[in-house]
Amino acid sequence: MNLKEGIKKVQDFYILSVKAPIGIFQRPVYIRDIIEQMDYAGAGSLFIVLLVSLFIGMALSLQVSAELGALGLRMYTGRIVGISIIREIGPVAIALSFAGRVGSGMASELGSMMLGHQVDILRVYGISPIKKLVTPRVISSIVMLPILTIIGDAVSLFGGYYIVAFVSHQSGSFYWSQIRDIMIFENIFAGIAKPFIFGYLISCISCYMGLSTSGGARGLRRSTTSAVVLSTIMIILSDFVLTRILLYLLGMRV
Amino acid sequence: MIEFRDVVLSYGDHVVLDRLSFRINFYERVAILGGSGEGKTTILKLILGLIRPDEGRIIIDGQDITVMSESELRDVRMKFSIVFQEGALFDSLSVRDNVAFCLREYSGLSEEEIEERVRALIRRLGIEDAIDLMPEELSGGMQRRVAIARSLAAGRPKTMLYDEPTTGLDPLTSDNICAMIKELSSGEPPDRMGLIIVTHKVSDAAKVADRFMYLKNGKITFDGDMKSLKETTDPELRAFINELFTIEGRC
Ligand SMILES: Nc1ncnc2c1ncn2[C@@H]1O[C@H](COP(=O)(O)OP(=O)(O)O)[C@@H](O)[C@H]1O
Ligand SMILES: [Mg+2]
Repeated sequence: MNLKEGIKKVQDFYILSVKAPIGIFQRPVYIRDIIEQMDYAGAGSLFIVLLVSLFIGMALSLQVSAELGALGLRMYTGRIVGISIIREIGPVAIALSFAGRVGSGMASELGSMMLGHQVDILRVYGISPIKKLVTPRVISSIVMLPILTIIGDAVSLFGGYYIVAFVSHQSGSFYWSQIRDIMIFENIFAGIAKPFIFGYLISCISCYMGLSTSGGARGLRRSTTSAVVLSTIMIILSDFVLTRILLYLLGMRV
Repeated sequence: MIEFRDVVLSYGDHVVLDRLSFRINFYERVAILGGSGEGKTTILKLILGLIRPDEGRIIIDGQDITVMSESELRDVRMKFSIVFQEGALFDSLSVRDNVAFCLREYSGLSEEEIEERVRALIRRLGIEDAIDLMPEELSGGMQRRVAIARSLAAGRPKTMLYDEPTTGLDPLTSDNICAMIKELSSGEPPDRMGLIIVTHKVSDAAKVADRFMYLKNGKITFDGDMKSLKETTDPELRAFINELFTIEGRC
């Protein structure tokens, strides 16, 4: 790949990621496609999100409880688990599952539409593939990922509660009172802002990769893999950056 | 008029089209022959402005389309319709919804009117039985028919573009599709709907076209009618069109 192609790719990605969300404000709006994508990305991902969140909540709680127990602070498990889940682990773990399931699905679907000339047909008929294909996917991701994250966080906290109350034999009501204490605006805002941005990144990256597919089955493999790998990297990197920014914005000292 | 002027297109180091030039009137019935990978599909995509050449001009109706934006190209694309190699049907939509696609998108017709038009088209192409099926349930021949119906629903194009419409079909179905294509472009110029068919199946091209071009190494090395095609002295082209002579007796 030479420099010119590289610049062209960055430019194409930039155009896609700007135009796609704006598409929702311009007629025609493809409501049916948006609903279908929301169903696929949201309802379809519920099971994996529930499963992943439950076990992460329980494992984290076991670990923290054991460590705090050594310090004689076991009753504070709830606070540590709650903060970690809501602000860090919940958003990241669920975004990673989402990238694996929905991001790869978007890239392979759009990729095979590219290879089968279906995207060309849209353009021949004067329909913008970005508006028709990318906008519904981006919108559904930035709506659904935060919702999934909220559900997942709740399930994780329940998992934590189960460990605290029935395995470590601590006070369950004290666990919940600590969780209530950390349900302040700063934490909730940080916990929702992240999946919103992750959803945007995953959908833009995956759609871009799908729409730049060429070269048959191998090309499809390449674009699907790149979609998931790039999304994963971007989630992890942007999580760090976002954490820094949010801590700064919310005036918390590190 | 569709005109290519010294069009060059390459992917990396691989030069697909090498200073390609030709002129085709909208109402003509042209077959572009060539082996696979010679750039036949690429030519159709260039005509529609789906890809841009590296060099050269592509002039449609007097306008240079290589410098147009995507929104300006909309009007140019309206002059054409295309049937891609495997049909390129939307696989999440039924046959009815595929054919109705354009009408739903921008005709502003009511659902009843759309249904009526879709039924008329489907009857014309003889695919009534398939109306509620999904694309993956259709045979190759059926898929092409649905694709033709869908491209006609958008309105009457000046020229239809067919990308290997008979490749991968049995001889009987091929015949059928050819007859269909021929019938759609019957009539007298300049009113008739023209066609450009790209294919490596010479005998099928012979059934629908009356002007033939041979694409080789990114250039048109032959351009003429059936008579001169059969009399060509180019040994390679003779080998390529060999099947025309072997089935001579049958026709
Ligand atoms: N997106 C692409 N990237 C790289 N090479 C391509 C691409 N599209 C087509 N090609 C190459 O261009 C040549 C012509 O392709 P095409 O027009 O599809 O051939 P045909 O339709 O005659 O079989 C082929 O050799 C193909 O490998
Ligand atoms: Mg081809």
